[in-house]
Amino acid sequence: MKRKEGEQQGARGASDRGPASTPAFEDAAILRTRLAEYLSARTDAAVVVETLVKFPAGFSWITYGVRLSGFPPARDVILRIGPPYGLFAPYSAMPEFQSLSALQASAVPIPRTFLASDDASILGAPFFLCERVEGGTPLPWGDQEGASLDGVRREALARDFIDALAALHAFDWRATHLVGWGSGMTSDNAALRQLDFWQSRFERWALKPHPMAHRAFAWLRRQPPRASRVAIVHGDYRLGNFLERDNRITAILDWELVHLGDPVEDLGWAFLPQYRGGTPLVCGLASEEDFLSRYEARAGEKVDRGALRFYIVFSLLKLALTHMAAARCFEDGLFNDMRMPAMATQIAPVFRQIAKILERAP
Amino acid sequence: MNNSLPRLIDGMVATLRKEVIPHTEGDFARGQAFGVIYMLESLKRRASWSNEFLVEQLRALEQASNDLSDLAAELLGAPLPDIRAPAQAPSATELEALRNEGDTCISKLVDWLADHRATLPVDAVARAEAKIDHYLNRQSKWELSTSAKPMFVEISSGRERSA
Repeated sequence: MKRKEGEQQGARGASDRGPASTPAFEDAAILRTRLAEYLSARTDAAVVVETLVKFPAGFSWITYGVRLSGFPPARDVILRIGPPYGLFAPYSAMPEFQSLSALQASAVPIPRTFLASDDASILGAPFFLCERVEGGTPLPWGDQEGASLDGVRREALARDFIDALAALHAFDWRATHLVGWGSGMTSDNAALRQLDFWQSRFERWALKPHPMAHRAFAWLRRQPPRASRVAIVHGDYRLGNFLERDNRITAILDWELVHLGDPVEDLGWAFLPQYRGGTPLVCGLASEEDFLSRYEARAGEKVDRGALRFYIVFSLLKLALTHMAAARCFEDGLFNDMRMPAMATQIAPVFRQIAKILERAP
Repeated sequence: MNNSLPRLIDGMVATLRKEVIPHTEGDFARGQAFGVIYMLESLKRRASWSNEFLVEQLRALEQASNDLSDLAAELLGAPLPDIRAPAQAPSATELEALRNEGDTCISKLVDWLADHRATLPVDAVARAEAKIDHYLNRQSKWELSTSAKPMFVEISSGRERSA
C-alpha cells in the first residue's frame, strides 16, 4: 500500500488518553480533536482544525502545518511536538517558546509565538504553536537547493544570515523574562558549563566506549576560552535551519538547543564543514573572512580566533555526540526511522576531523 | 540460505532500487527505503555468516569424519572426510566485548593523563598522547575504509542523486 505524504509515520511513543499504545500526537484524528479543544478553551472561541499535515523533515521534534478557523491570532500555524522517543528527549517546549517570545521585538527574523505547554495530558507530549512563515529551506546535504545558492541570492542570504546572528548575540536578554536563565552563568564559566552539559549527554548516549570523545573533551577542558559576553546562543545555527523567500531570510528556525553561553559557540557550529553544502563557504553563503568581517562589524566586537577554533572542535564533538544520540535512539527500539542509524555511521568521520585539527593544535 | 551474503545484499539493494522505490509514493517513505539500502551496503562491508553458525556445521562435519573413519579399512581408496572444527572460535559478541574492554582502558588512560597532567613529565605525557593518537587514527582509518558511501542526499530527498 502506498503511503501518502503527511500520513503518520511508524514511530512509537508513550500513550495517554488515546487508543491503547497510541499517543494523541500519533493519531491524526485524535490530535485534531485535542488541539481544537485546547485552542477553544484557551481562546474562548470555537476553534476548528481544518487540516493537519505532518512535515517529513526533522530528526527530533515532530512538525505539523495546521490550518485553523476561529483562532484569532492566525489561520495557518505550525505545531511542534517533542515526542518521548525523539533525538534529544525528554523535551520541554519552554526553552524554544520562551526564547522566541523574548525575541519578538528583536531584529532576528522569527515566527510569532502563540501557545505552549509541557502538559502531556493535552496532546501526549510537550508542544508549542507559532506562526507559519512562508519560505523554502535550502539544505546543506544536497545537490538540490543548497548547491544552487549563487550570485545575488547567496550574497543577500549571507547578509541576512550574518546580521540575524549578530542581532541575536547583541540582544539584551537580561531585560526580558530570560533573565532567570542566567543564574550563575558568567563569561568565565560559559564554555565549561556547556562542556559539562555535553559530557553528561555523552555518558547517557554512548553505546560503546569512545576514547576519541575522551581525548576531545580533555583537550577542550585544557583551554576553555573566556566569553566576551554571555548571549543567547541558538545552538543549531546553520544552513537548513532558516526559511527564505525572494532572496531574504524570513525566519530562523529550530531553536530547540537554545541556551545562554558564549556567542562564538554559534559561529563554531555554523563554520562546520558539514553545513557548507559542498562549497568552501560558511553554510554555503560566505567565505570565512567575509563572514567574520561582517559579523564583527554588526556585533561590534572582534571574534577571538583561538575561541573560534575551540568552538569548531567543540561543535564537531557535539555533532559526534548527536550521532551517538541517534544510535541510542534507534538501539533502544523507540524509533525505527532509518535516518537514525544512517546518522550514526558518521561518528567515525567526525572524530577523524577532530583528530586532524588536534594534530595541528598546540 | 545458499547464496553468499554479499550477493544477497546486492540483490536486495537492486530490488529496492529498481522495483520498490520507483513505485513508492512520498519523499519520506522513499527516503526511508534509501536508508535501508545504505544500511545494507554498510552491512555488506562488515558482516559475514556468524562463527556460531559455521562452527556448528564444522562440528557436524567433524563428527561425520570420525564416524566414517571407522569404515576406512572396508572402503579402501574412498575419499573420506577429515574435517576438524576449531577448538576455540570466538564469537563476534566475544570479540566486540574484548574491543570495548580495550577501548574503556584507553579512555581511562586519556582521562588519567588529563587529571595528572600537571604532575607528570611533559615529555612523557606528549609521547603517551602521540601513541594514543596513533591508535585512534588507526582505528578510525579502518572504520572509514569499511564504511559504505554516504547516501544522505537520497535519504533526505527520497530521490536518486543526480549524476
